[in-house]
Amino acid sequence: MPKLTIDGKEIEVDAGMTVLQACEQAGAEVPRFCYHERLPLSGNCRMCLVEMERAPKPVASCCMPVGDGMVIHTNTEKVKKMREAVMEFLLINHPLDCPICDQGGECDLQDQAMAYGAGMSRFVESKRAVPDKDFSPLIRGVMTRCIHCTRCVRFANEICGTSELGGVFRGEHLEIGTYVDKAISSELSGNMIDLCPVGALTSAPYAYKARPWELSKTESVDVLDAVGCNIRVDARGDAVMRIVPRLNEDVNEEWLGDKSRFACDGLNRQRLDQPYVKKGGKLQPATWDEAFAAIKAKADGLDGSKIAALAGDTVDVEAMTALKDLLNALGSKNMDCRQESSTVDPNVRASYIFNTTIAGIEQADALLIVGSNPRIEAPVLNARIRKRYLMGGFKVGVVGPNTELTYKAEHYGDDPAMLRDIASGAHAFGKILQNAENPMIIVGAGALMRSDGAAILAACKTIADATGMIKDGWNGFNVLQTAASRVGGLDIGFAPTDGGLDTAGILDACGDGKVELLYLLAADGMEAAKLSDTFIVYQGHHGDSGAHLADVILPGAAYTEKNGTYVNTEGRVQQGHLAVFPPGEAKEDWAVIRALSGVLGKTLPYDTLAQVRARMAEINPVFATVNEIQPADWQDFGPSTVGGGDIQSKPLKSHIRNYYMTDPISRASETMAACTAEFSGEAERTGTDG
Amino acid sequence: MSFIDRHLRSFLLAELLQGMWLTFRYMFRPSVTLNYPYEKGPLSPRFRGEHALRRYPNGEERCIACKLCEAVCPAQAITIEAEPRDDGSRRTTRYDIDMTKCIYCGFCEEACPVDAIVEGPNFEYATETREELMYDKEKLLDNGARWEVEIAQRLRADAPYR
Amino acid sequence: MVELWDNYLWPLIWIVIKILVIVVPILLAVAYLTYAERKVIGAMHLRKGPNVVGPFGLLQPLADGAKLFLKETIIPSSANRAVFLVAPMLTFFLALVAWAVIPFGEGLVLADINVGLLYLFAISSLGVYGVLMAGWASNSKYAFLGALRSAAQMVSYEVSMGFVIISVLICVGSLNLTAVVEAQRDMWFVIPLLPMAVVFFISTLAETNRHPFDLPEAEAELVAGYNVEYSAMTFALFFLGEYANMILMCAMTTILFLGGWLPPLDIAPFNLIPGPVWFALKISALLFIFIWVRASFPRYRYDQLMRLGWKVFLPLSLAAVVIVSGVLVAFDMVPNAAAAG
Repeated sequence: MPKLTIDGKEIEVDAGMTVLQACEQAGAEVPRFCYHERLPLSGNCRMCLVEMERAPKPVASCCMPVGDGMVIHTNTEKVKKMREAVMEFLLINHPLDCPICDQGGECDLQDQAMAYGAGMSRFVESKRAVPDKDFSPLIRGVMTRCIHCTRCVRFANEICGTSELGGVFRGEHLEIGTYVDKAISSELSGNMIDLCPVGALTSAPYAYKARPWELSKTESVDVLDAVGCNIRVDARGDAVMRIVPRLNEDVNEEWLGDKSRFACDGLNRQRLDQPYVKKGGKLQPATWDEAFAAIKAKADGLDGSKIAALAGDTVDVEAMTALKDLLNALGSKNMDCRQESSTVDPNVRASYIFNTTIAGIEQADALLIVGSNPRIEAPVLNARIRKRYLMGGFKVGVVGPNTELTYKAEHYGDDPAMLRDIASGAHAFGKILQNAENPMIIVGAGALMRSDGAAILAACKTIADATGMIKDGWNGFNVLQTAASRVGGLDIGFAPTDGGLDTAGILDACGDGKVELLYLLAADGMEAAKLSDTFIVYQGHHGDSGAHLADVILPGAAYTEKNGTYVNTEGRVQQGHLAVFPPGEAKEDWAVIRALSGVLGKTLPYDTLAQVRARMAEINPVFATVNEIQPADWQDFGPSTVGGGDIQSKPLKSHIRNYYMTDPISRASETMAACTAEFSGEAERTGTDG
Repeated sequence: MSFIDRHLRSFLLAELLQGMWLTFRYMFRPSVTLNYPYEKGPLSPRFRGEHALRRYPNGEERCIACKLCEAVCPAQAITIEAEPRDDGSRRTTRYDIDMTKCIYCGFCEEACPVDAIVEGPNFEYATETREELMYDKEKLLDNGARWEVEIAQRLRADAPYR
Repeated sequence: MVELWDNYLWPLIWIVIKILVIVVPILLAVAYLTYAERKVIGAMHLRKGPNVVGPFGLLQPLADGAKLFLKETIIPSSANRAVFLVAPMLTFFLALVAWAVIPFGEGLVLADINVGLLYLFAISSLGVYGVLMAGWASNSKYAFLGALRSAAQMVSYEVSMGFVIISVLICVGSLNLTAVVEAQRDMWFVIPLLPMAVVFFISTLAETNRHPFDLPEAEAELVAGYNVEYSAMTFALFFLGEYANMILMCAMTTILFLGGWLPPLDIAPFNLIPGPVWFALKISALLFIFIWVRASFPRYRYDQLMRLGWKVFLPLSLAAVVIVSGVLVAFDMVPNAAAAG
């Protein structure tokens, strides 16, 4: 461990650290633009220059490895002059357009020019100007502002794994761009906006909408995929203006997928802001009392077995708890949170969560991906796999769709029958898994939604058992969920018990008339034909497909509008917070159900959020601890518990076709529509188009 | 001695009478009143009156929606909404000043990087209803057009001292 | 029929005419007192005062009256309507009814009763009820605080006023106001009783809630005191009542100390000018001092006000009663000694 002196303070740091990191550890602030902890070093902004004794010139601290006996000064007059000089150079070609720049107010260059700049420039010649670049529907490139720190280039190369950006020309003419005119297609591209220390890359949908000082910032959790990225919701007045990631080393580091980041404009469109009741075949605006009365009229005297409920993909656990308790009170066991019928064992937690944990991926050395495309199902998790891949010694095999995953993966076809061979060791990758120290398997939600999902789950479990994935301190069996509500719903037991019907059973029963009242808790995408005779209550926040089927619509709150608990695919209980109030007459979902329970005469025993959460912890103790993972016991699950059957030889696919539109919020978003047109459309367009 | 003096003075109301004598003398001095609507006092170039949004000589509005005036306004009288205009430039879609909230501190014009929002020399804009004092962008630009000559002159006059 | 006319109707009409002859000039005087106040204070402030409505702004009081008359009468929703409306009427009524006993000249008095002074004192004491009712009925904390201050202040200063009046009384030997004036034919009481005249005048300032004792209306703390909730005509009645009271108080001071309608010297040309004119002139001079004081002095603090009333004026006026009666007895100058004895 080298020892060095920083500003007269002696400090011992790990070998291999840079001087800048050592300075940070010693509490000495070093300004920087190009340096970023998660990106490779480049050392081209020169802002981090420090003075080192016995060195002939100032050194760029971000690129200088620490050495024993170094003596570093960061606060001398010379360092101050160097910083002022570097700042003056950086500002030579930086336009003075802070007033029209969206970065203004949260700009590293602005802040550091204030803190370290000389306050004036001696440059009187013409400034350089670079044409604006249209990078994508998500990113505006005002390249005149670029200071060539190359953070975006390094991000695209290292984290995204899509080498789309780079610098062209030299010296003063250097421009950052995509070489040829094309959009940045990475689904993590929005992070470049955060990384850019100036206003060169800014958010296109957020352009000119608000200033950072106007925004009320609420820490919350993302629900548009199952990773549970930690986010900060920035709202102005009653509208969510933007969503940015929040640091959580165990989940999303500091990244966020584009859908989660940019779909927030969908929160202001197509909203259900008042109850509706179907009268004469048409949905008519109604009051809450009328809506509840309509439900009571139907539910009164109805046998419990004729009532069923389905929960959608973005529902919070509080609402599911309340609905579950209400259904139980009404005597119904027909409820399911797996609206697309994935086969996992609700009783065995290990069968439906990502046991390895996201941070745990970095310990793995072999990975088998079954029927999943993590790049679009969970882009942030995919970035973690790529991070592990870049460390070296990591073998990835794929049984499923053959797609570009941003890291080297051996594709073994999409025939699910191969899973048996892998389990038995007959397949080459089976051996790799057996020889690996920490092997892991990721089973995609798409694979489990097939009619033979149970058999595939069983086969994957066999692989896990056979290749030593389950051992002390390591569980390599992972299901990659794609719905934020899924793990929470299963944890709370929003699943059929004691002969209750599951999703497929409920839909069939609706078709047969055995279920007369179906409660859709933000569940969309049902087949309309089967539900035509059923009385449907839809509680949700967007006028999506579920609302079109409904006889009564109860307006609920979207994830930014309520305090909700969500469990991510790892089984991590996280809480989102209210950033803005629900529009119009819409209310928090659990409170709606609580109010309805009173009308139906089965008043639920909780009046406050704290009481609902206490009830959740009573049902399942995992809800007692927030933000931490409770490891799941490895129990038997498989044919015996989820039903067996044979693996069919249909090709394995990911169930998500369009990354940018997976849920009511992103479907309502104009930005996501633009992205769909830009990216997905390209793939599906045929030569005869246009 | 001073005790007697003090009490004598207070019982004989000496100070009160002195004060009354002073005001009585003042009664006969000429008054300094201006006959307001017909006579007006001089206005400094820094006088902070009714607000106006200015335009460039080519007719382009100056305001670029940087929202610095909104941020600095101590009375929170300014409300701005912005979005890209069709040509991609940053412009306000809404620029409201609640003149009933405004305290005429002039911070908005101090903050403005493009001299768009200014407090002009006009102070005679009383209205019959409160609503008329909720100025919108149209009204402010209209003020700018009406007072531009004087505003520009005042800005020039004050420029050396800024 | 004729009997009815002679015995009842004609006296009634005659009384009403006499009342009108008194009340109309008083109301006009009140109107122009406000004008004079604004002009005089304006001059002392180096301003012009009202000068727009009519020549020299002479129509300003009429314009103000018309404005107040045309404005909406607002009754606060939580106010006690009846009391709220009665309060200004009471104030106005009391301010006018006192004039019944004021002698404007020799024999020129509506009711020449022999307890005139007592009547006057009683009526001016009743004025506090209008204020209290207004403050209570408004159901507003400002009005209530203002009313309490006002009531406390009026009650406090009435005590010393009462003693001052007693010291005048023992010099006169009658409660009849005409007799009080007649007693000053040789020498106005202001000369022998100068300290008492000053105490009385200052007490009238406090009694009418005028500067520097206008704490009930302290704009800075109480918005406008007990009449903060009043508007339009209800407010106008308070306003008229207050100014009529000012004139009444000045008339009282004139009668008690400045010899009423008597000329300063009983020689030509002074005694050629009719008594009522002298009376009006003396009142005007006192009113000018009212205004002058307002233009000169800042407002008293409430504790100072109370200290002045109870710890300075009360002992002073008590002492005066003792001294005056002592002097009268010692020098055997007690008036109507025979009647009293």
